[in-house]
Amino acid sequence: MIHQSAIVTADLLGKDPGWLIIVKTLLVFVFLVIMVLLSIWGERRVVARMQMRLGPNRVGPFGLLQGLADGIKLALKEDIVPKAADRIVFILAPIISATTCFMAFAVIPMTGQVSLLGRKTAFQLTDLSVGVLYILSIASVGVYGIVLAGWSSGSTYPLLGALRSSAQVISYEVAMGLSLVAVFLYAGSMSTSDIVASQDKWWYVVVLFPSFVIYTISMVGETNRAPFDLAEAEGELVGGFHTEYSSLKFALFFLAEYVNILTVSALATTLFLGGYRALPGLGFTERWLGGWFTFVWFLAKLLAFLFFFIWLRGTLPRLRYDQFMKFGWKVLIPISLVWTLIVSTLRALSLRGAPTAVIVGFTGGVVLILLVVGSLFEAAKRKEQEALSSVITKPSHFAVPQLPMSISTHRVPSAPSRSMEATDE
Amino acid sequence: MNTLALSAGLTGAPEAVLFWILAPLIVLAAIGMILVKKAVHSALLLAYIMISLAIFYIAQDAPFLGVVQIVVYTGAVMMLFLFILMLVGVDSADSLVETIRGQRVVALLAGLSLGALLIGALGRSLLGAGIAGGAVGLDQANSGGNVQGLATLLFSRYVWAFEVVSALLITAALGAMVLGHRERPVPRRTQRQLSEDRFREGSELPGAPLPSPGVFSRHNAVDIPALLPDGSPAPTSVSRVIKARGDVLPTAPFELNKESQGEQK
Amino acid sequence: MNLYIPILAIGAVGFGFAIFSVLAAALTGPKRYNRARLEAYECGIEPTPQAVGGGHIPIKYFLTAMLFIVFDIEIVFLYPWAVSFDHLGLFGLFEMVIFIATVFVAYAYVWRRGGLEWD
Repeated sequence: MIHQSAIVTADLLGKDPGWLIIVKTLLVFVFLVIMVLLSIWGERRVVARMQMRLGPNRVGPFGLLQGLADGIKLALKEDIVPKAADRIVFILAPIISATTCFMAFAVIPMTGQVSLLGRKTAFQLTDLSVGVLYILSIASVGVYGIVLAGWSSGSTYPLLGALRSSAQVISYEVAMGLSLVAVFLYAGSMSTSDIVASQDKWWYVVVLFPSFVIYTISMVGETNRAPFDLAEAEGELVGGFHTEYSSLKFALFFLAEYVNILTVSALATTLFLGGYRALPGLGFTERWLGGWFTFVWFLAKLLAFLFFFIWLRGTLPRLRYDQFMKFGWKVLIPISLVWTLIVSTLRALSLRGAPTAVIVGFTGGVVLILLVVGSLFEAAKRKEQEALSSVITKPSHFAVPQLPMSISTHRVPSAPSRSMEATDE
Repeated sequence: MNTLALSAGLTGAPEAVLFWILAPLIVLAAIGMILVKKAVHSALLLAYIMISLAIFYIAQDAPFLGVVQIVVYTGAVMMLFLFILMLVGVDSADSLVETIRGQRVVALLAGLSLGALLIGALGRSLLGAGIAGGAVGLDQANSGGNVQGLATLLFSRYVWAFEVVSALLITAALGAMVLGHRERPVPRRTQRQLSEDRFREGSELPGAPLPSPGVFSRHNAVDIPALLPDGSPAPTSVSRVIKARGDVLPTAPFELNKESQGEQK
Repeated sequence: MNLYIPILAIGAVGFGFAIFSVLAAALTGPKRYNRARLEAYECGIEPTPQAVGGGHIPIKYFLTAMLFIVFDIEIVFLYPWAVSFDHLGLFGLFEMVIFIATVFVAYAYVWRRGGLEWD
């Protein structure tokens, strides 16, 4: 049944005439650009509210045109190519970033079957049998934009930022890739439209909740966003990989970052939240407006993810680099590997028609093993900490920071503190 | 269409167009890869070649292979390659001295044997149709879906090769560890330990943050020490990296007492 | 083949937009020569002539990239396996368990030796 619907979507899109492809391509492009402009505005407004400010409210109604104004401002800035830069690669890098980010969106299904200008089609540019893997591959080309930008700038901060960001993206891509395995296992396909079609009963966020959590965390790491925005940690690296970029070249990186956020959010929607499908119980709305109403559902889920991104930025402090890498390699990857094995075993058991008792027993066994391993970890950690605290000699009295006056000059007498004690008495 | 093309030994028209546009470009890029001076440029050209190859695979109705080609080669291997280039140094010139003896001979042999292998595989697929275990044609191979067909083969007939790959991966990881890992003689002090050190009695560092560099309203760069209330420079306010580089500027022109003394004279 | 044309189309649109932006930036922005502006950015001090350590990077990144390749290849094998899991049967499951366990050995070794520590 699943495979049939997939063939339908691929066939449907395969029959699109040339003019329809052009129309849809332009629609998707305009949709993405407008969404970027709006999400820049939305981000600034929402973060402002979270910080008890108003945010941009001058340009246009509610400040809605702020993103556009920023873009125009950037266009009127001087276009600088630093002396030490590798000219060709310096110009190539933003082009790579901006091209790949749009390409990745091509396989996202945004509506079910609809009619557009009198032709039956779906609002999805194309449908590949390897759709999700295609997005991953385009993302791995997109990293080149960042690495090359940092390298070609011929400057210290961009190089460090680029290294960090590429190490970060590749680390989290592993966790992301592993979290997708469970989805393919259940959907029996890598095509985005198949995966949406296979979620007609249960969304995978319910069935495969751990996968969803891992994907969500790694998508934030993958897009270099707060709290994982170490590549542009302005406190340490100024602007990260785009420190030396100005004018519209900088704008292209900015655009690429936001389109990437949209793409990973849309992918999360597709894989785990049923894509364009209506909320459970509201299935009849999928036929409204000749099927176009499904786009509203898709957009609503997409906006929810965007809000989540902004919320994270407004709430969480940035991680330290070693903590961040440790989290990716030592927490996310082993958990997703183990989870993949558990899911596949459960799937195999239920496919073989194993009695419920076996499945319950297996689940119980896994939970038990996890508990034991977890408590062993805890015990080891506690032991380590005890060993640590036994090494540390306890100060004789309550540790009070020295006053900054006596940092480096030994000339300032430490008498005032004693007199303070006297007044306290 | 596809079977027809295969049986006649011809490619479809769009595919031929694609080939005749991309193939010369690939050859040019390959020549350029060898000729360009900067190592990163040749890495970039290599990436271009990899992506073009992936497009060829996709055009040959092997979408999975094509996409994997991009993920693994362009994504992973090229990233590694770039890292190595940066490891060697951004502007370092290539030395043309053979570091491993007999390297060229071995490389030549490996290249020739790869060529022989490719010709063998090509001949088998063109002539071997109908033989047991020979080529079956694209439509039959992709009948259950490209990915599914691949999986069925990979996890039944080629299961041994598949399991051997895992051994290869172990070797790769171990090799990287041996080559690139440096054991720490002393365990790293954690942030917690460092902060405890700072608070401990007799420590030179204060619990409060270090003073920031720069002289108020005169010079705010990181390479100039801050002035203490008595007018003397605070050495702890300059990062030790800048100190080690020897870039610390003298504070004398900004020191109030000295300047005022000068005025008095 | 028709399914790949939209990808080319959106790629062309994105590429065209990027090229247009890069060219437009050269025309719309002002041009005021300033020697200091073309220097590499550094916080107020003389820019370092070359990037960190002569453009060298810590070897740590090499290790991370290598591990990434190992896992990437594992993922590449996991995907077709997951897609046709229902047809492969229990044999497929056991194969994959052995494969993952073998790769896990490498991972555990790297972890134990401290290859995953960053400082």
